[in-house]
Amino acid sequence: MKIFRKIMFAVAAATFALPGVPVAAQAATSPIVLTGDVKAVKITTAPDGTERTELTEPSAIIPGDRLIFGTQYHHSGTEPVSNFTVTNPLPAAVRLAPDADPALAVSIDGGKTWGVLAALTVASSDGTARPATHADVTHVRWVLSRIAPGAEGRLTYPAIIR
Amino acid sequence: MTAGTLIENTAVASYDDGGGARTINSNTVTVRVDELLDVTVTALDPGPVSTRPGDAVLTFELTNQGNGPEAFSLLANPAVAGNDFDVVVRSVAIDSNGNGVYDAGVDEILAAPQTTAVLAPDAALTVFVLVTVPDGASDTQISAVDLTAQAVTGSGAPGTVFAGAGVDGGDAIVGTSGAIATARGALIVGMASVELVKSVVLRDPFGGTGAVPGTIATFTIVARVTGSGTINDLIVTDVIPAGTTYAPGTLALDSAGLSDANDGDAGSASDAAGIAVDLGDFTANASRTVTFDVVID
Repeated sequence: MKIFRKIMFAVAAATFALPGVPVAAQAATSPIVLTGDVKAVKITTAPDGTERTELTEPSAIIPGDRLIFGTQYHHSGTEPVSNFTVTNPLPAAVRLAPDADPALAVSIDGGKTWGVLAALTVASSDGTARPATHADVTHVRWVLSRIAPGAEGRLTYPAIIR
Repeated sequence: MTAGTLIENTAVASYDDGGGARTINSNTVTVRVDELLDVTVTALDPGPVSTRPGDAVLTFELTNQGNGPEAFSLLANPAVAGNDFDVVVRSVAIDSNGNGVYDAGVDEILAAPQTTAVLAPDAALTVFVLVTVPDGASDTQISAVDLTAQAVTGSGAPGTVFAGAGVDGGDAIVGTSGAIATARGALIVGMASVELVKSVVLRDPFGGTGAVPGTIATFTIVARVTGSGTINDLIVTDVIPAGTTYAPGTLALDSAGLSDANDGDAGSASDAAGIAVDLGDFTANASRTVTFDVVID
């Protein structure tokens, strides 16, 4: 009984540790690896008035600033996979930027239902509905029907700090 | 979004590798929201505050427009270009009891260097600037006072970064206000003065204007307020001249009769006490006329 308990503890510890396991360790079990990154969008104005957009490591980030969240996927296995769906809950502190791809599948109800933003509405307490806005989006999602071995790609969405 | 908030982003992928559904997570990327330094100051007085030489109060509102807790240093400057005269700034006070009105002895007077307590993001504070209007100021002269608030962490051109000076060791970044703001309040001197003009018309018993026994003398006192501002509780009094007797029932204000008794209406009159008419509050450039008759003994 004592030994069994110890094993239980070990399993529990492993479960808790899982989110912290490095990506490389997950790769041993999954042929596909997701790597997240975030860049800040800084617009600099040259002396001649032309604006230049740069993607930089985020520093000095304040409300209203733009971030690009990216997810890199790489299929290192030998068999194609299907129904590849990448779901990204939006951090509460950001809203989807207005110039996000209009064809992007989004959810405004915590990931229960999905659609393009233009097709979604928000019900108000008085029974009326208004069109959903970028600020209503809680999740974004990409669906790729098939990924061939060796394929890789990058999925991004722009966000603005609330 | 308040300074110090951690923005954490994780993507989740699910797919089918032929052996069933699989789910994997991306690593989590984290961005900390840094501290934005922004402030606004607004004069709350709807227009120039009407005042007389002596003490006066100007009211302002300061708002922490940043996203982090921040204190602000305050500077009241009475020497504004274009002033007719300059006031003396006695103190800067905080509306401690939040009633929007300066209460001496209740509202905290800030010690130099005047600095507010730390204000939460979006918190507003009512600030009073206590000034003294010099005796030399004359009617209708105007004087402006500027109140400047500056973030204690720092100010400067928008975008200036104070590395490590923000919440939780993050950066502090100057916002569009430059983390410094100034509002202008103004005072206008309103000094009303009262002018009384007294005249008399005689009617003798023979249809002339001689001053003989039995002549009725009608006195007219015109009260006029000049300048600006208001005169409160103006009471016009006059004595009945020696050698004459008040003609009962002749006291009138703007041609409307007033009873002689000291009662509910504005006037009273008697030989012994003379006449008294309460004109109440009186705004500038108005005039009222008191009349009464006496008979020469």
